[in-house]
Amino acid sequence: MRLILAAAILLTPVAALAQDDAQRDALKARQGYMTAVATNMGPLAAMAKGDLDYDEALATFHARNLAALGNYEVEMHFLPGTAQGEVEGSHALPAAWQNLDDVRAKHNDFTAAAAAAPEGVKGGREQVAAVVQSLGGTCKACHDQYRAK
Amino acid sequence: MTGAGGEPVRVRLWDPLLRVYHWLLAFFVIAAWLLGQFGPLNMTLHFWCGYIVGGLLVFRLVWGLGGPRPARFTHFVTGPRKVIAYGRGIFRREPSHWPGHNPLGALSVIAMLLVLVAQVVTGLISDPDDFINVGPLAGQVSRATSTAAVGWHNLGTWLILILVLLHVGMILYYRFWKREDLVRPMITGWKMVRRED
Ligand code: HEC
Ligand code: HEM
Repeated sequence: MRLILAAAILLTPVAALAQDDAQRDALKARQGYMTAVATNMGPLAAMAKGDLDYDEALATFHARNLAALGNYEVEMHFLPGTAQGEVEGSHALPAAWQNLDDVRAKHNDFTAAAAAAPEGVKGGREQVAAVVQSLGGTCKACHDQYRAK
Repeated sequence: MTGAGGEPVRVRLWDPLLRVYHWLLAFFVIAAWLLGQFGPLNMTLHFWCGYIVGGLLVFRLVWGLGGPRPARFTHFVTGPRKVIAYGRGIFRREPSHWPGHNPLGALSVIAMLLVLVAQVVTGLISDPDDFINVGPLAGQVSRATSTAAVGWHNLGTWLILILVLLHVGMILYYRFWKREDLVRPMITGWKMVRRED
């Protein structure tokens, strides 16, 4: 009996730590996912603005990455307990967890825009600009609602 | 500042440029506000409204330094003593006949101008991570600053709302409690005022 009690006392903080780790990892993965998306958006946006010369191969390369990232299921990174205020460094609003269906829908909009990107960027700067507009709108729609300012 | 005999006289208080500026500012601040809050995902129109507000603020700075007397900052920026003295009469049910921005109203004018300047500056350097609505000067500051600027810009949104509601509320208060129409002078330029000392 005393052994069980001692084990329980010893293991409780360990369990709590493991829990924290899962949440910190989910946060890192979520933000890392966003960073990966943004890193592929960067060159396309630069091309759309004319800061970077149009290069079909480069544009297609990043568009394909975005399409692949769009297919990714983000839900796993919206682990409960990882909202802003619950884990340090999070900028995801608690509203996301109250509206997971809507988060899913907003992610689906991104998926659709990203799926059209590899073909869409072909042709020239204007085509890239149109793709960046449609992709960018999906970022803003989700950030407006679920990302802290 | 009670004039000779205290009798109010009708004067051309606000010059034409200041009046045009005022209504343009009101229009474009409201437009920028509504577009920011409810506008399309592409914020190009919002940006243009913001640039126009920026231009109007530059005009106001110039006018505040070298414009006609009632428009000058030195004419309406006063110390706490004058503000308190004026504030004593705020509940009195009579027009102020003040020749310009009264000391209390001046505080709200200054606050609005400062918050609007901050709003334009934070907008210019904002990067909301959507690659389509990036402030044109976001690249000139650090990434941490351009991200934080989005938060300041959002805070400014609510400060502007409060200040504008206060501004409109006080004008209604003057109109219905103090029986003084402050809107018409901003349209026609003419106002009944006490003579200046
Ligand atoms: C389904 C919702 C959703 C969509 C769609 C979305 N984001 Fe995000 N994004 C978020 C949330 C939530 C956060 C805040 C994550 C956090 O801090 O926990 C975020 C954060 C970010 C960050 C900051 C990451 C960090 O390190 O803090 C970047 C950059 C970003 N998003 C870029 C993009 C871009 C670019 C797009 C569009 C191509 C996009 N996002 C689309 C929800 C979304
Ligand atoms: C009087 C001037 C302005 C007003 C009243 C204003 C108001 C607003 C409002 C209400 C929003 C939405 C706030 C939110 O939901 O977070 C917004 C967002 C934004 N504004 Fe302005 N703005 C002004 C000037 C500018 C300028 C000059 C720029 C830059 C050119 C700018 C760039 C932006 C950007 C990038 C956003 C998006 C932030 C986001 O996505 O969260 N604004 N503004």
